[in-house]
Amino acid sequence: MKFKRILVANRGEIAVRVMNTCREMGIETVAVYSDVDRQAIHTLKADRRVPLGPPEPSESYLNIDKIISAALETGAEAIHPGYGFLSENHVFAKRCEDEGIVFIGPPSSVIRDLGDKITARRIMVGGGVPVVPGITKEEPDSAALKKEADRIGYPILIKASAGGGGKGIRIVNGSAELKEAAVSASNEALAAFGNGAIYLEKFLPKARHIEFQILADSHGNIVHVLERECSIQRRHQKIIEESPSTIMTPELRREMGKAAVAAARASGYVNAGTVEFLVDDNKNFYFLEVNTRLQVEHPVTEMITGIDMVRRQIEIASGDRLPFRQEDIVGRGHSIECRIYAEDPENGFFPSPGKITYMREPSGAGVRNDCGIYSGFEVPYEYDPILSKLIVHAENRQMAISRMDRALEEYVILGIKTPIPFLLDIIRSGAFKRGETFTDFIAANFPDWKAGHGESDLAAVAYIVNALARKPAETHAPTGGEAEPSPWRTLGGWRM
Amino acid sequence: MEYKLRIGDREATVEVNTIDHENLDILIDGARYSVDHSAVSMHHLSLTIDGRAVNAYVSDSPDATQISINGLNYTVRDAEAQPSTAGRKKSRKELPQEITPPMPSVVVRILVSEGDTVAKGQGVIVVSAMKLETTLFAPFDGLVREVRVRTGEKVMPGQILVDIEGAKNVPPE
Repeated sequence: MKFKRILVANRGEIAVRVMNTCREMGIETVAVYSDVDRQAIHTLKADRRVPLGPPEPSESYLNIDKIISAALETGAEAIHPGYGFLSENHVFAKRCEDEGIVFIGPPSSVIRDLGDKITARRIMVGGGVPVVPGITKEEPDSAALKKEADRIGYPILIKASAGGGGKGIRIVNGSAELKEAAVSASNEALAAFGNGAIYLEKFLPKARHIEFQILADSHGNIVHVLERECSIQRRHQKIIEESPSTIMTPELRREMGKAAVAAARASGYVNAGTVEFLVDDNKNFYFLEVNTRLQVEHPVTEMITGIDMVRRQIEIASGDRLPFRQEDIVGRGHSIECRIYAEDPENGFFPSPGKITYMREPSGAGVRNDCGIYSGFEVPYEYDPILSKLIVHAENRQMAISRMDRALEEYVILGIKTPIPFLLDIIRSGAFKRGETFTDFIAANFPDWKAGHGESDLAAVAYIVNALARKPAETHAPTGGEAEPSPWRTLGGWRM
Repeated sequence: MEYKLRIGDREATVEVNTIDHENLDILIDGARYSVDHSAVSMHHLSLTIDGRAVNAYVSDSPDATQISINGLNYTVRDAEAQPSTAGRKKSRKELPQEITPPMPSVVVRILVSEGDTVAKGQGVIVVSAMKLETTLFAPFDGLVREVRVRTGEKVMPGQILVDIEGAKNVPPE
């Protein structure tokens, strides 16, 4: 079955990313949008658009009834959920199944099972996939928790079964902290997810986050599409990802890839997914979780393998077989992604929504910018702060770092704040260049990061020149094209 | 003519002399720069500073000018003009009973009502921006005099959301 029309139940850069591939496949796209996204780039791009109403996620991009009726109304045969929002919501996937709409993702039962971390751990143990030492049942009783913690040894991690986004996680360094941590993690999880179930795992302080992309068709063929390392995180959110990982060897890749495929098989997986692992200093690896959706960082895999992940997702959803086998998948060169969030690095990385007054995207060989904004766009308050993802590809890691450096330097976003100066400092650091990338990278290397003064004399010069040029540009702006200001007309204002 | 600029947290004394309509001689804290300039667009300046070519991207707001050069961002303002953010900060120090958000955000929950007594450190109002919720706390013991916003309202840093009158003889922080 070939789709004629797909509804993209998302917004911003990922909606645009999905629509690009749809267009290349000759498939019409349907955008859904909230009141504040009437002029968002995904709304402007689609072939058809359906308004969802008020901006609150529950009234718009998380509203299952509205999205289903938008699909039925426009005759969309399938829904691509992107990431975030409804992408890992098994109720939504089930509803699609019931309404005869193809959900581009795994079956709802698989999303449900893998979304519950305790169930997922149990499935992996059954499938022979190594998991972090810990328990595979919920344990509200603190005496039982303590016994288990003593057995595996501190430090341990308390985690919410329904967890995500860093909520409901506590690091416990000794038995004295255990009870309090368990209670507060459980309460936080209850408030955030409506489920207070917790479990515990051994905490690995010096670990890398390495994940494997998997593709599984509905005919039982499963491959992995190599790894991504995503150890550079802040507040449990990834900010820089790359492939290959600096510690990867052909043997380790074979072993971890095999475990990833086993994880997919054990859970009955179909479509694209990601199996996340923690890897310790001795290259022991442990299953963390499966993300049952397209990952934010999928572009680094696309860059090194040349495989269009969204096309594969759509073809799998329409019943096609994978067109390649494991041995056909090879990586070439090195790819790095930096996430550009709307956040102010000078103010505790608080969100920084607002109007983009000017922007200039980097370009050139090996540079890709998956972007959800444009000059003049007002970044809304209501949604995830991701603006764009800057991805580079080069022959090797060192060249990829230099290319990312150049691309970040060329990236101009004005009107709101972004972490570009922070990202530059990270990729220029010795630790990053040496590949010493562990999940505690930011805490270990940039505990109290502050922007340096840079070349503030240059900024002073630019300020003066701008002040001289500004007024005529505003008052004498000719129709069509931007004004060509002359300092002559404003010198009086500066009393020189 | 001399000017005082504030670039981030640095204050600089700047002297500008015009050579001709494209060339300036600029002295910044004693360092002399020979500057050749042209405006490519309202937001893009092409500068040659002592022979070095520099692209500077600028965006003006009433408070300050945001400047991007080689991936780094600078906030520059006239130090002699009273920028409203500095003014706000000052008045906040003098009147600490004011509760204001750290970022542009939306009010999601108001935890107190007018006339309520609050204790120092008690949550007063919850604001949210881009999925990050932040609780603003009472800075000291006192009485809620006025709740100035409603749930769902967009608010900006510096804007007073809840007015709390300090309990008698409680010195401001």
